[in-house]
Amino acid sequence: MGLEDLVLYAVDHALSIGADYAEARYHKNTSTELMLRNGMVLGGGYGVVEGIGVRVLVNGALGFASTNKLTRESIREVVEKAVEYARAHSKLMKKPIEFAEARMGRARYSVVEAKKFDSMSLDEKIRLLKDLWNSVSKTPKEVKLAVLVTTYSEMVEEKIVANSDGAFIESRVPRIRLMYNMVLAHPQKGTLQRMHVLGASGGLEWLDKWKLTDRLVGEAEVYEKVLLTAKEPPREPVDVIVGSEVVGLIVHESCGHPSEADRILGREAAQAGMSFIKPGMIGYRIGNENATVIDDPTIPGSYGYYLYDDEGVPARPRYLYREGVVYEHLHNRWTAKIFGVESNASARSMDYRSEPIIRMANTYLKPGNYSFDELLEDVKKGVYIKSYMEWNIDDTRWSQRYVGLEAYLIENGELKGYVRNPVLEITTKAFYSNIDAVGKELRFYAGLCGKGEPAQGVPVWFGGPDVRLRNIRLGVMA
Amino acid sequence: MKEELVEYTRKIIDKAVSEGFSEVAVLLLNEKRSMVKIANSEPSVVQHWSTISVGLYLVKDKRIIVARVEPSSIEQIDKPVKELLKIASRVEESPLYAPLPKPEKEPKPLEGLVDEGVVRAIENPVDLAERVVEVAHREKVDRVAGTIDLAYITRVLATTAIGNVLVEDSTRLQAYLRAFAGEDGSGQWALGSTRLDTRRLEEMASIAARYAVESRNRVEIEPGVYDIVLSPMVFGNLLNYVANMASAFMMFMGMSFFVNYKPGASIASTKFTLLDDPLNKELPRATGFDDEGVSTRTKPIIEDGVFKTILHNSKTASKMNTETTGNAGWIMPTPWNLVVRAGDYKLDELIGEVKKGILVTNNWYTRLQNYVEGQFSTITRDALFLIEDGRITKPINKLRIADKLPRILSNIDGLGRDLYDIQWWEVRIPTRLPYVLVRQVHTSKHTV
Repeated sequence: MGLEDLVLYAVDHALSIGADYAEARYHKNTSTELMLRNGMVLGGGYGVVEGIGVRVLVNGALGFASTNKLTRESIREVVEKAVEYARAHSKLMKKPIEFAEARMGRARYSVVEAKKFDSMSLDEKIRLLKDLWNSVSKTPKEVKLAVLVTTYSEMVEEKIVANSDGAFIESRVPRIRLMYNMVLAHPQKGTLQRMHVLGASGGLEWLDKWKLTDRLVGEAEVYEKVLLTAKEPPREPVDVIVGSEVVGLIVHESCGHPSEADRILGREAAQAGMSFIKPGMIGYRIGNENATVIDDPTIPGSYGYYLYDDEGVPARPRYLYREGVVYEHLHNRWTAKIFGVESNASARSMDYRSEPIIRMANTYLKPGNYSFDELLEDVKKGVYIKSYMEWNIDDTRWSQRYVGLEAYLIENGELKGYVRNPVLEITTKAFYSNIDAVGKELRFYAGLCGKGEPAQGVPVWFGGPDVRLRNIRLGVMA
Repeated sequence: MKEELVEYTRKIIDKAVSEGFSEVAVLLLNEKRSMVKIANSEPSVVQHWSTISVGLYLVKDKRIIVARVEPSSIEQIDKPVKELLKIASRVEESPLYAPLPKPEKEPKPLEGLVDEGVVRAIENPVDLAERVVEVAHREKVDRVAGTIDLAYITRVLATTAIGNVLVEDSTRLQAYLRAFAGEDGSGQWALGSTRLDTRRLEEMASIAARYAVESRNRVEIEPGVYDIVLSPMVFGNLLNYVANMASAFMMFMGMSFFVNYKPGASIASTKFTLLDDPLNKELPRATGFDDEGVSTRTKPIIEDGVFKTILHNSKTASKMNTETTGNAGWIMPTPWNLVVRAGDYKLDELIGEVKKGILVTNNWYTRLQNYVEGQFSTITRDALFLIEDGRITKPINKLRIADKLPRILSNIDGLGRDLYDIQWWEVRIPTRLPYVLVRQVHTSKHTV
């Protein structure tokens, strides 16, 4: 039986034994990995996670089961297991689960690599990463580059999604990722650590776009100076230019996550937590007119790219905050039914073993009109935080903290040396209400967003321009 | 079934060897698992998994390849093995390479890790969910959320260095519940065990519910330096970071503050002892053999405040000129189960030692600015109480602990006598530990 036939069989069999709704997903994740430390190859990795996951609705209760045995018999067993579990707990449901009507996709799509993974030999890829070490390790003059770990990955995600409401989506998305961990050490000044991820959908063309050597050599130069020369941040309230890398994380954490409708309804309450956004808060003012945050799965080349979600609904940009008000949540078909709206295609799953849950894709703050120099020019005293290491946010997504790594003192519109570990600790409302000017250059950053139980990590981009906040008291590290 | 798995594992070894790999290890996990996820005091989904996954460790000319695949038949292992051979012929000799160990004494799988209660509950997890929800609602809570996760796992290991195929069966229960009461009250507790004991699940539900009720009507306090009593949930989270950093691989990768110390150095309060305890049959990652087929053993990571053991597999041990500690991970040595030596205090007595401080019952999102220095912050969640003159006086609002891990360890001043078995999202390594009093902890909070 072919894969497509197995998926369709799963849906049909679930309906035949009493499911009110059935969805089956063949899902294959293939990955190849290389890990180097200080220019030496520690080893290679390879992974294939492949199987079928089946989700059913029976008497208003959800059941999910999966298997990696791709036979008709095995699929029959998991379908029956999913139906049996759903039926068993339907007696406990106070409010039966229903799905909103939705336009179902029937399509095939794939991301085409401009440069295919096999257009470069493994030898060449290893050489590239070794050359990276050779260049970066020579960069710092007074401090030692104690560790540079680079982990390079090529991944392909293939799916066939079908459901009993008529969806049929076949997709293939290749992705590329480079993670690095840099430790700079100085006998008197201690250590500084930078960890970062580059990721995108597509192929080896991204290696050219990332300009790895320039990027990492540049970072090593800067971080050496940070380690050697950075001073404590000012104690009094100052203007803060929040760099796009930090803005991206902020909008992901304090707009994207609280806008997940399943979280708003309490479905993730024991894990990733709740949301300060409660049902009925569409229109709530969270910030000023500069606060527009969009989540868009359809950005070409993005790490979180998809055209249809795992419930078969066509994707589109979602305006989560619009000109300072809560505008739209991220929905799947269940939450859409409760909120009386249409699903905006936010259901994603990590692999065949995972149920589809509401996820972000590529979340960003809408750019404005300011050049970086214009953001700087009327700052009398301030701090520019370009990159970060430590961060966290509370479980309602209200109180958050970001600790700068590459950060500068600003005096009279000019950058004046480095600031060590400035702490931006701020509420969501204060951040979005204090954005005074927005840069025009939109940049994206890659991450693996975690949620669910069992935890699911899905690729996302987050980004934005640089923004300026007025009159913020920064903290220092203990 | 078990014979089939052994046969299957052997065939994979043979295949990899016949393809040209000189050293091979195969770790097969056959897992049957079900989980009820609870939200708003009802199941939100019940999930079931039936999975066979195969981990492959392959060496050709000292080049190391590690893979995880899920073939549905032996034939399907062909393609990955061929793919891996291509990779192996390209990558270079690994600086981590050491031959797979051939232990003088062949390890023995641990017996008694299977609880029939867990096996039965896998087929019907909903009744347990109903029970914990009911118990929590005996307190005045509005709703609860959580997870009951049950698994039966067969772990099969074969390597080209040991004669026998090792087979170990175990069961696992991981459960946690978060209760909500009123506008702002919430509490959470967790349990990780190889066994299903309904009374312990009920205790978990009761603790979460009581903390939820007691933490209603919170007030703000200013951040500063406080003496803090950390619950096992919170201390367990921090110790997961500490224990992972005791892995030689983490030190090698620049991800550990232990690089600043050598075994024998005083790094913590003399009151503090932390064990890696794979032989504790009640904790979910208990095992008689590691992923290289070496017998596991219980050992102190920190004993009476002294750094005792770096966790090794044969590769990191060879690199550091020492012996494996039975903690493989083919690439990264990892702790199995953590156990903190109990102290003498009842919880009330620990609180009684605090003039002005805080009881923190839960946290999440621990992140580090710098692993080599152990500089971190974590945000508290759920019940948090102000302690004044040795007594809890009021529930308070969230703040962060923002400090250094070595300083936290050094400032431990008292440990509870009752131990709790904790495992959940933020405590992935099963950890048995008490409440702990830490002096002079730095806290922070948003400034605007």
